Amino acid sequence: MEPLDIELDEGELELPAEPMHLNMGPSHPAMHGTVRMVLELSGETIAKVDVQVGYLHRGFEKMCERGTWAQVFPYVDRLNYVSPMLNNVGYALAVEKMCGIAVPERCQWYRMALGELARISDHLTCDGAMAMELGAFTPFLWFIKAREMVWDILEEETGARLTHSFGRIGGMAEPPTPDFKKLCLAALPEILHVVEEGERMLLNNRIFLDRLENVGPISKADAVALGWTGPCLRATGVSYDIRKAHPYLKYDEVDFEVPVGTKGDTLDRFLVRLGEIRQSKRIIEQSLARMADSGPVNCDDPRVVLPPKSEVYTTIEATIQHFKLIMEGAKVPAGECYSYTEAGNGELGYYLVSDGSGTPYRVRIRPPCFQIVGGVSKLIEGRMLADIVPTFGSLNMIGGECDH
Amino acid sequence: MATFKLDGKTVPFEPGDTIIRAAHRQGLTIPHYCWHPGLSSPANCRMCLVEILPKPGQRPLSLDILELDAKTGEYKPVQKPKLQPACYMAAADGMEILGDTSEHVVKARHDVQEFLLLNHPVDCPICDQSGECTLQDYWLEYQKTQKRMHDEPVHKPKGVEFGATIVYDGERCVMCTRCVRFMAEVAKDPVLDMRERGNLNEIFVSPGRRLDGHYTFMTEHVCPVGALTTKDFRFKARVWFLRTAPSVCQGCATGCNAHLDYDPRYNKAYRYRPRDNEKVNKYWMCDEGMLTYSEAHDGRVLEASVDAAARTTAQALDEVKSLFVAVPKDSVGVVLSARYSLEDNWALRELALVLMGTKNVYRSGRPDGYEDDILIHRDKNSNTLGVSELAPTAKPFQALLDDVAARRITHVIALGGSAPVDASNLRAAKLVTIAAHRGPLTDLATVVLPATSWAEHSGTYVNAKGMRQIADKALEPLGASKPAWKQVADLATALGFEPSWTKLKQIRGQLIGSAAAEAHGTPQVVAGNASAE
Repeated sequence: MEPLDIELDEGELELPAEPMHLNMGPSHPAMHGTVRMVLELSGETIAKVDVQVGYLHRGFEKMCERGTWAQVFPYVDRLNYVSPMLNNVGYALAVEKMCGIAVPERCQWYRMALGELARISDHLTCDGAMAMELGAFTPFLWFIKAREMVWDILEEETGARLTHSFGRIGGMAEPPTPDFKKLCLAALPEILHVVEEGERMLLNNRIFLDRLENVGPISKADAVALGWTGPCLRATGVSYDIRKAHPYLKYDEVDFEVPVGTKGDTLDRFLVRLGEIRQSKRIIEQSLARMADSGPVNCDDPRVVLPPKSEVYTTIEATIQHFKLIMEGAKVPAGECYSYTEAGNGELGYYLVSDGSGTPYRVRIRPPCFQIVGGVSKLIEGRMLADIVPTFGSLNMIGGECDH
Repeated sequence: MATFKLDGKTVPFEPGDTIIRAAHRQGLTIPHYCWHPGLSSPANCRMCLVEILPKPGQRPLSLDILELDAKTGEYKPVQKPKLQPACYMAAADGMEILGDTSEHVVKARHDVQEFLLLNHPVDCPICDQSGECTLQDYWLEYQKTQKRMHDEPVHKPKGVEFGATIVYDGERCVMCTRCVRFMAEVAKDPVLDMRERGNLNEIFVSPGRRLDGHYTFMTEHVCPVGALTTKDFRFKARVWFLRTAPSVCQGCATGCNAHLDYDPRYNKAYRYRPRDNEKVNKYWMCDEGMLTYSEAHDGRVLEASVDAAARTTAQALDEVKSLFVAVPKDSVGVVLSARYSLEDNWALRELALVLMGTKNVYRSGRPDGYEDDILIHRDKNSNTLGVSELAPTAKPFQALLDDVAARRITHVIALGGSAPVDASNLRAAKLVTIAAHRGPLTDLATVVLPATSWAEHSGTYVNAKGMRQIADKALEPLGASKPAWKQVADLATALGFEPSWTKLKQIRGQLIGSAAAEAHGTPQVVAGNASAE
C-alpha cells in the first residue's frame, strides 16, 4: 500500500505513514449488526471505505416464492421492520395491480392513515436513534415515547406492535376498530408535542448541531445518480416524492407538502424527517375525515378475498372458497408488473412475475436502503472517523431491506 | 377433415364425435361431471351445456322464460336460446358453438353448480377428494357466489359400505352415474344403480349383492367428487402433499400406465391412479394392480444378509467373494427375472455372458394366475418379453432345478426373490440373490443383496404387447437397497471383474442398440419423462 501522507515535509517527525485498517462492524452498535465497514484510516481521516452489506441474509425473495401470494405478507413485514405497514400495503397494491383489483375507498383511506402512522414511527426511530448514537440518550427516549403512542394505535388496530402482517390482497385483515379515529386524533397532537420537546433539546444544542452540520453532504446530481429516493434524496433539495409524483391510493386528494433540504448534509436529513412527521399528521387527519365509518373494507372478489369464518364453517360454497385460497392460493393472472410506493426510506418497488398459479414465480424487491447504502462511501471518504456514526445513522439503513 | 368452431377456435372432428369429445381431443375443456372419455354419455349433469348458433337465415332454437326485472320487481317474459349438452350433441361440419363466450352458458354453468352444491355437506376438511375435487375447481371457475339457500339440507346415508373396498357417501354424490356406467360398461357387472328421484336420489348396490370383482377401485377413480372413497386410501393422506411420478404397474404383463402418488416428506407411496394410455390400459386399472403400490414398502429386502443374518453390503460381498473362489464358470448358473427391468436384467446378462463367460442363463418370475379379457393378464410378471428379448436362449427355471439336482450347477446368482415353481431343491447349491422383495429365492439364499423396487429407480419394462415402457423413480432408495444393475456391478467388482457400466444412461444406450430389441421390432414407447440418472 502506498503511503497516503505524501506531503510531509522532510525534517518533520517521522510518524508511521502506513494507513491503518479498521473493521467497523458488523458487531458494532451503530452498524446495526448487519453492515461491516472496512476502513482505511490515515490518522483519524477516512482514506477509503468498503461498505459490506449481507450480514443479514435470509434470502427472502426466494422464501416468498415458496408459499402462496398471501403468505408473502409476513415476509415483507420484515423488510423495513420499522414501518412494516408501508411494506404490507405496497405489496398488496402490487398484487392488486396484477389482478386488476381496486379496493373500496374506505380501505384506501384506512391504508393511508395506517401507512402514515408507520411513517411517523419510522422517522421517529431514525432521528431518535441517530441522536442516541451521538450520546444524546434523553431525546431518544422522548422520540421512543412518541413512537409508543403510534404503536399503541397500531396494536389496537392489528393486534401486533411490530410485525402486523395486516395487509391482504384486496383489502386489509380487519376493518378499522370503532375507536380508530378517536385514538388517532387524540394521539397525534400528543406525538407532535413530544417531538417538539425532543427537537428543542437537540436543535438548541451546539454540540449536536456541530456534529451534523456540513457532515456527509451529497449533491443533488450525485444523489440522483446513485438512485437515492426518499428523505435522503429530498434533503439535497430534489422535491421527489412518489406520493406527489406518481400518486397512488388517495394521495392526490389530500393536501400536504414535501419538505426538502438545501445542502444534503446530515442535519438536512434529520430535519426533513422531522418535517415529514408533521406532513404525515396532516395526511392522517385528512384521511380520517374522509374515511367512512361503515362500509366494506375488502373488495368483493372471491378469487382473492377470504370469506367470513362464520360462512366457512356453515356453507359449502365458503368452505370451498376458503380451501382454494388457503391450500392453492389466490390465482394471480400470468404476467408481470412493477409497482412502487413511497416507503419510510424512499421508493419501495415490487417487481412481481406470475405464471398464473397460486405461488409467486418471482418476487423481486427494490428496497430504498440498498441504493442508499451504495452511496455511503461517497459520503464519508475523506472525513473524520467520528463522522461515520451520525452520517450512517441519518441514512436509516435497515438491514432487512438490504438483504440481497 | 370436418371442423366446427368453439368460441372462435376451429376444432376438427371425426364422424360420430360429440362436441365435447372433439374438444377434449384438442385439449379444450368443456366443464363436465357425468361425461368421461371412456364411458357413454348420459347428459344428466347439465354442466357441459353450450349454445349452438343457428345457421344463417334460420331462427334460433329458443325458450320462453320469465325474468325478474330488478327495477320494477316484476317478472317479464323474455326468450333465451335453448342450450345443448356438448356430451350428447353430435358435432356437425361448420357448427358455431359458444361456451365461455356466451352469457347464457356462463349463467347455466353457474346455476348448475349452485344446484349441485345446494345440499352438499360441509365436508371438505374431512373429505379425501378435497384438493382434486371437481366441485371445488368448478366453484371457483364457474360459480364464485355464496349460498343463497339457508334451509337445512337434505340428508342422505353416509359411510355406506358398498363392498370390501369402497365406501359411499350419499350426501356428497352429484348423481353423475359414472360409477354405475363403469360397472355396467367396462367391468360388465351392472351391480350399481340409482334409486329415488330428485334430491332423494342415491346410488345403491343391487339387493343381495356387494360391490366386488376386479374393478371396484375404478368406481372411486371415475367419481368426480368425494362420494366414493376406497378403504385403502381413506383418511391416509391429503392429496396436496402428494407428488406423483409416472409409473408402470408391476402386477401383470399388461403393464398398465399409472401415476404413483407418494409423499416426499415420508418417502412413502400412498396410491396408484391410472394414467391414460389408449394403447395399453385406456383409463383403467384392476383392483389387484391398484394395490400393488404397497409393494414399494411391503415384503422388502432392506439390508444384506448372509445365511439369514443381517450384514452390511460390503460384508455380504466379501462372503460372495469367498463363496466363488475356484468355482469353474460352467458350474455357475445365472437367473434373470421377468419381474425386473430391462436395465437390471441387462446388467446381470452382461455379468454372465461377457464377464464370467458362462452359458448357463435361466429365467425366473412369478407363476401364472388369474386372467380376464379386460386388463388382467395371465402372466404375473411385468417384463417377460423383455427378458426373452435380452436372452432368447435363457432356459426355464425348471431346467435350473434339474441342473442343480444333477450337480451340473453348484453356484447360482439370481435376480429377484420369486420363483414360478417350488424351488426348495436349490438348497443343494450356493445361492446369491439380488432382490427387492422377499420370496423363495431369498429364503433359500446364502447371500442376499438388497435391490430397489420399481418405485425407487427408473426402469424399462416390456409388456405383453411388446411395448417398452418406463416407470420413473418416485421414492428415494429404502434401507441399504440399490438399483439391481448397480448391485450387479458391485457384485462383478467383488468377483474380480471390471463391469463396463456405471450409469443408467450407458445401459439405456446399450439397450437401444441391442440386436434383440431390433429383431423383435418393438415399438419404442417411452412413458413419462424418462430421467436417465
